[in-house]
Amino acid sequence: MRFFHGTHFQFMKYRRFWVTLSTLLNLVAISLILFGPGFKYGVDFAGGTQLTMKFKSDPDVARIRTSLENIKLGAVTIQRFDEPERHELLIRLQSPGQEGDFSARMITALDQEFNAQTAATRLNLQGVEAVRDGLAQADPDSVGGTFDNRRAHYEPMASGLLKLRKEMGILNGPADLDRIKGLSSNAKRHLADNARFGEFAILAVDNVGPAVGKDLRQKATYAVGFSLLAMLVYIAFRFHLPYGVGAIAALVHDTLITLGVLVVTGRELDIPAVAALLTLVGFSVNDTVVIFDRIREQLKLHRGKPLVEIMDVAINQTLSRTIITSGLTWLVVIALFLFGGDVINTFAFVLLIGIIVGSYSTIYIASPTALWMTNLLERRKQSRRRR
Amino acid sequence: MQRKLMWRWVLIGVVTAAAVFFMLPLDKRIHLGLDLRGGIHLVLQVNTQDAVRAEVDDAMERVRGDLTEKGFAPVSLQRLPESNGFEFRPAPNTPAKTLEKVIDDRLLEFKVERGVAITATLRPEVTRAIKDMAVRQGLETIRNRIDQFGVAEPLIQRQGIEGDRIVVQLPGVDDPARVKDLIRATAFLEIKPVVAVAPTQETLLASSGGEMPEDSEIVSGDVEDLEGRVTGREYYLLKKASVVTGRDLRTARRSQDEYGQPAVSFTLNPEGATKFSTYTGAHIGDRMAIVLDNKVRSAPVIRGHISDSGIIEGNFTVQGAEDLALVLRAGALPASITYLEERTVGPSLGHDSIIRGLRAGLAGLVAVVLFMLFYYRGAGINANVALILNAVLLLGALGVFKATLTLPGIAGIILTIGMAVDSNVLIFERIREELELGKTVRNAVDLGFQKALSAIIDSNLTTIISALFLFQFGTGPIKGFAVTLTIGLAISMFTAVFVSRSIFELILSRRERVTSLSI
Repeated sequence: MRFFHGTHFQFMKYRRFWVTLSTLLNLVAISLILFGPGFKYGVDFAGGTQLTMKFKSDPDVARIRTSLENIKLGAVTIQRFDEPERHELLIRLQSPGQEGDFSARMITALDQEFNAQTAATRLNLQGVEAVRDGLAQADPDSVGGTFDNRRAHYEPMASGLLKLRKEMGILNGPADLDRIKGLSSNAKRHLADNARFGEFAILAVDNVGPAVGKDLRQKATYAVGFSLLAMLVYIAFRFHLPYGVGAIAALVHDTLITLGVLVVTGRELDIPAVAALLTLVGFSVNDTVVIFDRIREQLKLHRGKPLVEIMDVAINQTLSRTIITSGLTWLVVIALFLFGGDVINTFAFVLLIGIIVGSYSTIYIASPTALWMTNLLERRKQSRRRR
Repeated sequence: MQRKLMWRWVLIGVVTAAAVFFMLPLDKRIHLGLDLRGGIHLVLQVNTQDAVRAEVDDAMERVRGDLTEKGFAPVSLQRLPESNGFEFRPAPNTPAKTLEKVIDDRLLEFKVERGVAITATLRPEVTRAIKDMAVRQGLETIRNRIDQFGVAEPLIQRQGIEGDRIVVQLPGVDDPARVKDLIRATAFLEIKPVVAVAPTQETLLASSGGEMPEDSEIVSGDVEDLEGRVTGREYYLLKKASVVTGRDLRTARRSQDEYGQPAVSFTLNPEGATKFSTYTGAHIGDRMAIVLDNKVRSAPVIRGHISDSGIIEGNFTVQGAEDLALVLRAGALPASITYLEERTVGPSLGHDSIIRGLRAGLAGLVAVVLFMLFYYRGAGINANVALILNAVLLLGALGVFKATLTLPGIAGIILTIGMAVDSNVLIFERIREELELGKTVRNAVDLGFQKALSAIIDSNLTTIISALFLFQFGTGPIKGFAVTLTIGLAISMFTAVFVSRSIFELILSRRERVTSLSI
């Protein structure tokens, strides 16, 4: 079976149209970034504190907001995380512009708002040791002996409880205790009566202070900039300068369009998004290199043939490969996008867009730019010779 | 089978066996990153200015002490704002010789400008050394605390351009709040004589005649009821000079007070014990305050001569008492600490990420495998064998290099699946082209591999270059991605070119004359 077999598309014929269209789209992307809504920076770059929380039932967003705004640290944004039936939220406190441990204060505020304030062990917030010590102190099994002795007795029960919490994300109430292996019935009764389940569990905390946020922004800009530069050098070294310029034009195009799509869709620019962008840079060059490689080969085979025609032949010859590889990688990225979960979703999204844009630019941007540059250099050389 | 081909298969066999050896058992060999395992990543800053200020304050007090002792108490003595120094006016009748001696003795590390008032500023190189020392001590103290707390495989490192940052990574921590407090606790213990106690600051001052004595200070403490609940606040007038401090401790451990409540008991080192026993022996019936981080924890009455041990009481949980004993043992921090960055991942989110990552990876793999079979038939099997081998070798490489697998790392593996077949696609497409040109199967296979090679190398190298930048830029999880992607692509050059070729060779060598190829 074969797709795109023996095609003779005249890609280069319409190059002016596509290059113009792409340039326009790039301008739109730039103005969206600079003059439009701009990037929605994630917590990595903007700084701030973000809690990923799981609630027992559908959480009361308004109540969360009020309780957090009451501690007067700054504006709070709340959005759903993952599928609705998981009752998970991303709660973000905008950076108050100073360094500090704000996550602790946020958690305390939410704890006071949502949970009964008793001295009991907090099963959904504390660790194995706290659960163990709570049991050891109450000693429902009447083990007696020294404290360390009692600790040893209750340690496996506490581990079992934490293991269940790890699997479920949150312990909903006493009924869940039945699922813990090795928990004695006395201990179970004690926990059901005394321990505090509370309304929520903390899945993750990200607190990025202004200094680190600034560092990360700087590092990301450098990484993207330098990797583009490295590609230019590599391609110019392996091929000729015009091809390097062509490849870079395609890369800049891909980066801009993808960033523009991020702005339009209102997705956040964070470290995983930049990582995806860098991956994209590699992937897009990869495609471009394969076509350039073929152009080089064809140039050797058919000396004297116009470069435009050679480029069309090369693109057509590699077309099925371009599409199959991009398609397969795209397929894999779709799997990541659909099944990978919200943590990795933006990463997958950037690749999802980027692979399409990258394959397009390989054909319609890289080669025309290389052609244009070659002609430009050629004309210069000739005019110099004439003089 | 030709001899050359046999060696190829031996090599493949050895490499595969090694990979399997290094990847099993999976849970031992493959290190999971914080984002999959759960854990806490902290970047903290040591506020080194604290240590510098302490040094200046110390020198100031020594100058005051020396001069006062000789009977020439300085007229004024004050810290200079915004600089690492202080200024003092000696009494007009101070003999120059005495003054110079004090300066020589006490202000060695200062640049001294003499005038009506004398200005002493800490030398820049000394300031630097003090700051550096503070970070080093901070690092050491935090390491001690973490070690005693007992976290497996902690990472504690100095970082930053000015070197005043410390990165702490603790995998598998299930109570981040507790660990954060434990690291941050300054844990500065002092035992000081109590002059007076009062419910408000005003009454306290009134009791000492309305003015604060120069050698004293006011420190607050909580008032608790019998059940240990905080019901109010009390103010203590304490002597500034401590009887003993945390530096005099030999050890500390969790114990119980006379009511069976958790408390922390400590023993002093010989030097501290001498000071303590002299003092308590002379002050039976007086009160002394146990001050922790500038807060009075308790202020017991000295009932008898105490030599080398004591107990800190007051509203502890078992864990609280244990943690305090731990930080006292590990030593005080030389300067306060600010958290610049925190990344905590609970174990459940990590667990969830693994399951989802595997699901996505499997879905991607199945899709690619099916497509290759469908599109390239027999050669598709070849590519799929190479692909699966790639995954095995990748896991083996992670085991060998002790690399850390993160969620983006899993994404990197998944992405490698897509990119690894690229090399096969390049080759197969090329073989098809050659076959079309009328070449024999033998020739087409040879040419296909030959001609596709430069494109394969170029295209993989470019991706690896961008992955290197990613590694440079990335934080932990992203580094994991760069690692799996780079290793995966490097391996794909082996599997897609070498292994895949060997499979073709095997097929071609079996039959005398090959006229068709399933591709």
